Amino acid sequence: MYNDIIIDNFSDPAHVGDIDGPEYQYEIGNPVCGDRIRIQISATGGRVDSARFRAWGCATSVATANIFCASLERLVLARLGERSDSEIEAMLGELEPSQYHCVEILQQLHRRLVDLAGEDCREATT
Amino acid sequence: MMDMHPIEGYFDYNATTPVSEAAAAAMTAALRLFANPSGRTRPSTSNRELIRESKARVARLLGTVPEKVFFTSGGSEANNWAIKGSLLNDLAAPGHILTTAIEHPSVIETIRYCARQFGFEVTCLKPDASGAVSLEAVADAIRPDTRLISMMYANNETGVIQPVEQVAALARAGDIPFHVDAVQAVGKRPLDVEALGADFVSLSAHKFYGPKGIGGLYIRDIDRISPLIHGGGQEMAMRSGTENLVAIAGLGEAADECRRELERWDRHCLDCKQRLLERLRKTAIETRINGLSDCAGALSNTLNLSVPGVRGEALALLMEKKDGIVVSIGSACSNNKTRQLSPVLQAMGLADEAIQSAIRISFGRFTRLDDIDRFVDSLERCVQQLKTMSFNG
Repeated sequence: MYNDIIIDNFSDPAHVGDIDGPEYQYEIGNPVCGDRIRIQISATGGRVDSARFRAWGCATSVATANIFCASLERLVLARLGERSDSEIEAMLGELEPSQYHCVEILQQLHRRLVDLAGEDCREATT
Repeated sequence: MMDMHPIEGYFDYNATTPVSEAAAAAMTAALRLFANPSGRTRPSTSNRELIRESKARVARLLGTVPEKVFFTSGGSEANNWAIKGSLLNDLAAPGHILTTAIEHPSVIETIRYCARQFGFEVTCLKPDASGAVSLEAVADAIRPDTRLISMMYANNETGVIQPVEQVAALARAGDIPFHVDAVQAVGKRPLDVEALGADFVSLSAHKFYGPKGIGGLYIRDIDRISPLIHGGGQEMAMRSGTENLVAIAGLGEAADECRRELERWDRHCLDCKQRLLERLRKTAIETRINGLSDCAGALSNTLNLSVPGVRGEALALLMEKKDGIVVSIGSACSNNKTRQLSPVLQAMGLADEAIQSAIRISFGRFTRLDDIDRFVDSLERCVQQLKTMSFNG
């Protein structure tokens, strides 16, 4: 069973696509289930303009990529680190045990961006 | 999603079937029959008659006599009973059980339990790429101490028919009890259990338009099996417990309807399958059939296929949400440590990627030819959408 957040973000994802010359680009994968997600982000002045993904994986994994991209739009990158793990987990709604790995995927997507954008974020805040 | 009756998009008949109008009417009529069939009152006698008639109807469907049919709570209980009940006499000197890697969990897990708990040794034969276990492999695996052979009639995921008639001959020659899980075959193919020659044959009503929670076990000779449920002596003291009159009424009606209509339904499913294969051949999307697609070697209502480049689980959800299409999948969503892949497709030697992209389509008497067209149209659209989301989209 899938919750409505997962179904909506999987069935009609608004953030599928590519960005020409993205500020940030990275890919994560799960070696066990084979899921792969690529994220591309354009940003101006430390603020996200647009985020897009490509994904191969289960429905929850695709939905996770879309939810993550949607959460970044207009976000000030310097504030990215303020998100707690529980806030991140809540973005996916209630999951079945077999879908818990998508929480880890979402946290992985978040942490990679925090790492990538870390230097830029520090520059922006000093 | 377009507005349509749920049954129109239903392609999961091997999981369960809708209860037929006739079976529902029979159950409705039985709802208020409260007298205990074991009682001595006139209403009890009437309820006993209902049970007797239902049993006779099931027996006619199976080509046997009512005295050899025993009601159970469903296919799982029938499988448990056949296996445990026939092995109970061998606990002092547990021997060998021969089965296949493509059996239903109610067979596999029961056999594993007997091995773990009582020390039986188990040989689990794998099918070839066609999905069928070879007769030669069975013959080679039989040992002098083989106490039971358990093999399904038709596989639930691929629909592939197993060589049960020939295995029955081998079992008879070696005087080895032979159990056939025919849950997917009863009501889909003509089945004569006396001609088949097995000792035990399992069936489940909800696979052929009857209610859930009722099934049966054909037992050739009650001296070869012990009861699992002891008590008041119902079912010739083979399966105690006050009978589920409502479900038994539904099963009897479904069995009778099935006996009368089976050939017509089978031909209809064959037409649907041929239409599906023809449409898949013409479509631009790549599909690979898992197991046999011909209608002699497989159930006429079942097709298992992989769609390279997409995940079956994602495809199934998208087809359901966009077009109300319901299919089954070969791989559930995994956790981080283990993959949940179909043991049947694994045993057939399919690569993990092929299993992850597999869906099972199964249809039945209510499926229309234009439902098949709607299915393929949806498949094309949804595969296209998933590929657009993917890396080379």
